[in-house]
Amino acid sequence: MQTSGFIPIADGGGFCWRTAPPPVVTSVDCRAVAAPVAIESAGECLNDSLAEPVAVVAQSVAIGGVSPRAVSVPIARPVVKVRSFSFDEPLAAATPVVPATPAAPPQPTLESEVAPSIVSTRIKPPGDVVKLEDRLQYILQPSLESLLAERSLTFPFYPFPFQFEGIAFLYPRHAAILADEMGLGKTMQAITAIRLLLRCGEARTVLLICPKPLVTNWQREFAAWAPEVPVMVIEGDQTRRAWQWQLPDVPIRIANYELLCRDRELLEATGKGLAPFAAQRPATNLRLVPGSTQTVPVPLPPHFDLVVLDEAQRVKNLAGATSEVARSIARRRSWALTGTPVENSAQDLVGIFEFLAPGYLSPEMKPRRMGRSVSDYVLRRTKDQVLKDLPPKLFRDAELELSPEQHASYRMAEDEGVLRLTEMGASATIQHVFELVLRLKQICNFDPATGSSSKLERLEADLEEVAESGRKAIVFSQWVGTLEKLAGHLRRFGPLEYHGQIPSSQRDGVIRQFRDDPGRHVLLMSYGAGGVGLNLQFTNYVFLFDRWWNPAVEDQAINRAHRIGVDGPVTVTRFLVLSSIEERIDRVLQEKRELFDIIFSGAEPHRKLGLTQQELFGLFQLKCPGGPLEAAA
Amino acid sequence: MLRERRWLEKIGKSMSTADVNPTRLAIGFLTVLDHPQHGLFGGYLVLNAAGRPLEFHCTAPIKPNRAQEILYGPTLAAFLYGEQIGQTLLAQAKTEPALVCTDREPALSVRHHVSLPVALVLPPEVERVDVRPDGPTPVIEGSQRRFRLDGPHLHAPKLIAFQLGRNRLAVAERADDDRRLVAERLGELAASFDLSEPFQRIREAIEEAQQAVR
Repeated sequence: MQTSGFIPIADGGGFCWRTAPPPVVTSVDCRAVAAPVAIESAGECLNDSLAEPVAVVAQSVAIGGVSPRAVSVPIARPVVKVRSFSFDEPLAAATPVVPATPAAPPQPTLESEVAPSIVSTRIKPPGDVVKLEDRLQYILQPSLESLLAERSLTFPFYPFPFQFEGIAFLYPRHAAILADEMGLGKTMQAITAIRLLLRCGEARTVLLICPKPLVTNWQREFAAWAPEVPVMVIEGDQTRRAWQWQLPDVPIRIANYELLCRDRELLEATGKGLAPFAAQRPATNLRLVPGSTQTVPVPLPPHFDLVVLDEAQRVKNLAGATSEVARSIARRRSWALTGTPVENSAQDLVGIFEFLAPGYLSPEMKPRRMGRSVSDYVLRRTKDQVLKDLPPKLFRDAELELSPEQHASYRMAEDEGVLRLTEMGASATIQHVFELVLRLKQICNFDPATGSSSKLERLEADLEEVAESGRKAIVFSQWVGTLEKLAGHLRRFGPLEYHGQIPSSQRDGVIRQFRDDPGRHVLLMSYGAGGVGLNLQFTNYVFLFDRWWNPAVEDQAINRAHRIGVDGPVTVTRFLVLSSIEERIDRVLQEKRELFDIIFSGAEPHRKLGLTQQELFGLFQLKCPGGPLEAAA
Repeated sequence: MLRERRWLEKIGKSMSTADVNPTRLAIGFLTVLDHPQHGLFGGYLVLNAAGRPLEFHCTAPIKPNRAQEILYGPTLAAFLYGEQIGQTLLAQAKTEPALVCTDREPALSVRHHVSLPVALVLPPEVERVDVRPDGPTPVIEGSQRRFRLDGPHLHAPKLIAFQLGRNRLAVAERADDDRRLVAERLGELAASFDLSEPFQRIREAIEEAQQAVR
């Protein structure tokens, strides 16, 4: 590296100054300088010429100017484009957990323990929310656990992570089906999501519709999971109900399906169903007075921020009155709870979706496409997926032979029935086939002449074991008559009955007695009355004395016992008489299970599925008029 | 019906008194996403004390050019994160937060442009911080990974790390007073508010915004 300083000039004896960087030098100034050289005489004899001065010759060298080129490098400061979004503060203002007396702020410390991070469940925007600002509104919310903690919402026990996911699924959705397998806590998830909507001010009026026997169950669940939320049950005479429907600012109303149809006129909105701008509606409507030109104000049908259908398969039949009334209720959000969104055919799902999002599904859709279409609207989890620690459900098929008496009766009834159907030819209807099927199934239970029953013998043997171990069992049948016969034969096990002929007012007492009385080992239940909504997890044995038409109903029955809280494996015994109508029906049930799997798991179909009229006639090797059988189950 | 009217009055009270004690405290969260193809995306989220979003701002992607890379040298990240992105985003917000948190160390340089305390939120898995102002490069000893507090050059600002409630934070040494300000302004909220969580929300929101653009 060069530095500044004098440098000698070549051939000269002079010096010049050279400047250090910048290295570019435009010229060098060279000039003659006096260079006095003092010479001392060395002696007298030196030649005088030596005394002459030294001639110094200076020479100028022109280097020439080098003009530097300055290069400017622009340092751009581009304008950064920004997108901005503002969000309204929630109606109910934020309530951080703050002690009553202000605490001193924590002092920062250099060494201390770090609190472990907790698992959090995020609320994701539904697929039908398309506006970016609306989607961000969901994405930027804190975790569900934080929201619940912020609102100081407490629970009787801390929910499972999958239940938080279910709540996070329901909370943002205007149309949703929570289709968890029975026993996973759909009720609790729905109540907590409702509770959150109420507490955040996103809903003020909620209508929950359920089967009549489950009204008290829902009341209990609300009391447990949302004790601060007032609940009103719609009941009483018509005047009272009309008043109840019109009451403003009731957070939760519970109504049953049967009552819904009776109050059809009070509920049906002129605008039919989903009314997102209900806040703009007038409070009353005008009605023409009969026989005059005058009008009188009449109250509009009630409007709800949310309508929840429990056991929503009740509205699967579009032509049914229940479905029509449910669809006509004015509402902003629609949720459906069901463990069996598809009981018989994909048409069931279309029926439920007509309540949730009319026109979204069509009956012509193929199951796999339907499955893809509903994926953002349906949340379905099974116990196997989310409750790895739940005790197992053990199935055992009790394959029995008919007793000789039963066999004789069965053979006679089948031969006569088939003969009669054959003779009827084309005039034979599905009802005729059903009659024969039911007749044969009843004989499989008990011989009508002698009362002989191979199933009863087996059941008694099994119940001995259950009773000796101090356990309890539920026995399901589709006939009250069968249950009553069983009650007579099983007296030593302290049987209790729970079916359609037991008054609603007594049913809760039956359940309590079965749970609390150690001498009561058997509960005899009909599929219809005991299939849904009951929590019987203190039971470890389930017997299906006869089989229902579709597997979903059987699953519901089984899951009365196999649910959260069960303290051991649940053994399910399915009675099946070999070489009988029961065995043939069992094959159909298996096919229905496969249909469900196609829609909700995307599995490949193995063959054409579903129960057709042809297949039903085929149970007896008969030809049929053809066409699909919608009402088979 | 009289009984039910009384009941309704009762429920009216119970519902209206459900939520009280609102607070206006707001906290800003600033982060930058480095996308390998598009460049840097900035995101700024303002939350209330309950963690609910009040404002969100995000930038279009920016990419430094070659000249900037050469001329800014080791200070480029601080320039981009703090000045170009951070300052711009904070200027857009209507809500004045009590403090600004970031999870990207170069974004701490936004402190030069705002009069708010700015804190770096350290990853929760970090167990211990060694701050040695005169020693070699300070590092955080983590249970699973190592995390550099300083920049890779001699002029990186030194950091002061500290524990505040459940959060582990750091401030620039030359803004040491921020440590006190952060503690004062967060108050008892520091015990319950997980300051590292909102950054995940910002990242998801930026990804959502980018999908919307595409």
